[in-house]
Amino acid sequence: MKSGMKIGIISLALVIAIILVVFLQTKNITSGHVGLLMLALIVVAIMLGFPTAFTLMGLGMLFGYYAFYETGQALGDNRVFDLMVQRTYGVMTNDVLISIPLFVFMGYIIERANVIDRLFKSIQLAAGAVPASLAVATVITCAIFATATGIVGAVVTLMGLLAFPAMLRAGYDIKLSAGAITAGGCLGILIPPSIMLILYGATAGVSVVKLYAGAFFPGLMLAALYVLYVILRAVLNPKVAPKLPESERSTSFLQTLGILLTSFFPLAILILAVLGSIVFGLATPTEAAAVGSLGGILLALAYRQLTWERFKEAVFLTARTSAMVCWLFVGSALFSAVFALLGGQEVIERWVLSLGLSKFTFMLLAQAIIFLLGWPLEWTEIIVIFMPIFLPLLGHFEIDPLFFGLLVALNLQTAFLSPPVAMAAFYLKGVAPPYVTLNQIFAGMMPFMVIQLVALALLYAFPQIGLWLPEVLYK
Amino acid sequence: MERILHGVDAVSAFAGKAFAWLIVVLTAIICYDVAARYLFRAPTAWAFDGAYILYGSLFMMAGAYTLSRNGHVRGDVLYGFFPPRVQAGVDLVLYFLFFIPGIAALAYSGIDFAQFSWQLKEHSSTIAGGPPLYHFKTLIPIAGALVLLQGVAEIIRCIQCLKTGEWPRRLHDVEEVDVEELKKRVQADPAADLVPPGPSSEGAIT
Repeated sequence: MKSGMKIGIISLALVIAIILVVFLQTKNITSGHVGLLMLALIVVAIMLGFPTAFTLMGLGMLFGYYAFYETGQALGDNRVFDLMVQRTYGVMTNDVLISIPLFVFMGYIIERANVIDRLFKSIQLAAGAVPASLAVATVITCAIFATATGIVGAVVTLMGLLAFPAMLRAGYDIKLSAGAITAGGCLGILIPPSIMLILYGATAGVSVVKLYAGAFFPGLMLAALYVLYVILRAVLNPKVAPKLPESERSTSFLQTLGILLTSFFPLAILILAVLGSIVFGLATPTEAAAVGSLGGILLALAYRQLTWERFKEAVFLTARTSAMVCWLFVGSALFSAVFALLGGQEVIERWVLSLGLSKFTFMLLAQAIIFLLGWPLEWTEIIVIFMPIFLPLLGHFEIDPLFFGLLVALNLQTAFLSPPVAMAAFYLKGVAPPYVTLNQIFAGMMPFMVIQLVALALLYAFPQIGLWLPEVLYK
Repeated sequence: MERILHGVDAVSAFAGKAFAWLIVVLTAIICYDVAARYLFRAPTAWAFDGAYILYGSLFMMAGAYTLSRNGHVRGDVLYGFFPPRVQAGVDLVLYFLFFIPGIAALAYSGIDFAQFSWQLKEHSSTIAGGPPLYHFKTLIPIAGALVLLQGVAEIIRCIQCLKTGEWPRRLHDVEEVDVEELKKRVQADPAADLVPPGPSSEGAIT
């Protein structure tokens, strides 16, 4: 706990120091510098922990008032008010963001369909012969369930209750078990249909359909690398993942198939149908999400898990999560408009161009900055506040915003596993046996974070991993 | 004082939960539209406008409800480590510095915006005879006022916390990750009927 606070205070001090240095060195302060000040203040305010949506609205309003101010005008006569309401209305009628509540609803409904233990059981039986079968089953279960629901907290908590004790009882290494659950639980952020890609699409003006098609294989690749790593560990050192006794894994092929048919396939088919209809252009993401919600309701009914109470809870949670994301977008819509108005964007562009970076070094720098921002900030904040700053620069370096988005999405995976704000670790700690320490969980997450960086490098070196599918489909 | 706070919470929650049901309507009309287009070859003209009106109303009116449950995303890098009094102090200052100017401006600017739309009797122009927009636009000042009211309640909570050193308790509501509830669910669901009989499965999962 102490070390987390230290990291926080150090980064806060660093930001304030940068503000001071920049402003003391600048001789003539232009309005562009005021824009940079606004950007620096937002980072400070976010670190202090005030709700980000309101911080964005407040700062946007105050600095916008300053930017539009003309001497002698009445107090309520500033054009920032028009800007604010126009931007808000723009979010209310945004035809990309509209799919967010629908996907969120689908996620909560499927989460309440209560399929995760059947899913885990069936995959575990199917993977019985593989080394570290429990951990492999954990990663795969997490990947599927997280993809369908997108709710990191629920996935990690449920797997912490189901898979963690099972792995520990089988004598698995604590760190490996914890890493498999936390890393696997976060896969839903990347593998479509993910909210993150919708938010990026709305911010960058990139087609969500192309982003989904593009993120599909990188997401699978990451999941496959996790599985590979777990198996490799077990092969190199069988002690970290002892084989289950024969009695616990032998079932007949037909039995295994039967369980898979009732648990794994319905959910997998639902996801693939939603995703497939989007990627092959049969339905817009909004339509696919609505039909997916309906499918989720039917699935939950079929499993006899959908009570009126659970349905109501899903409805209310959907409203809160959607409000959280969309109000954040309202705030950032105003904020980025004011930032551009003040000319903060130009100052940054001029500075970046004056560095004379090559395409490669710019890309490396951008990804490194996003990686570092992921330690103190959450991905929503990084996308809505910082993407508008990076995006105009992409044109100068001839970088495809679609490709950039895929790299960012992969990169932001690390934000979930990096202490001190790695929520996944805290969710797991909340349900883990008392002897498992937070540090063990963090240590278990580290190798998976390295794998994420490897995946990032692979995607950069072989862009076709991501770009092949959209290119084939949308030629 | 607690009764006033819970009263404000109840107002926000009532509005938020009432509008939350729009997600069901939204799901239904989009599914209907898809069915109409693919099965009956008769796309609906009103689904597009209807959909964004439902979505916009839903999230705007749930803003105050979300605030009343402390559900708006906040950076946790330092905040989580602060003792309650420091948290309340930081929040209190920033409520006055950022929240009030921002939300008051939203509510204020929304009034003019909605008024203008009422005067025009504005209708959507995406299709001929599109649905009216003035009710929809009126939600901006209403949502702003609700969030502002909830913000005042939050400010009072900060002051109470500064006095007593602990956060006043909130009304119980459904949580995204309710550990007790999830525990119950995992145990209550008998996986036995799925698992093949015999010794093969016993002890693998409890």
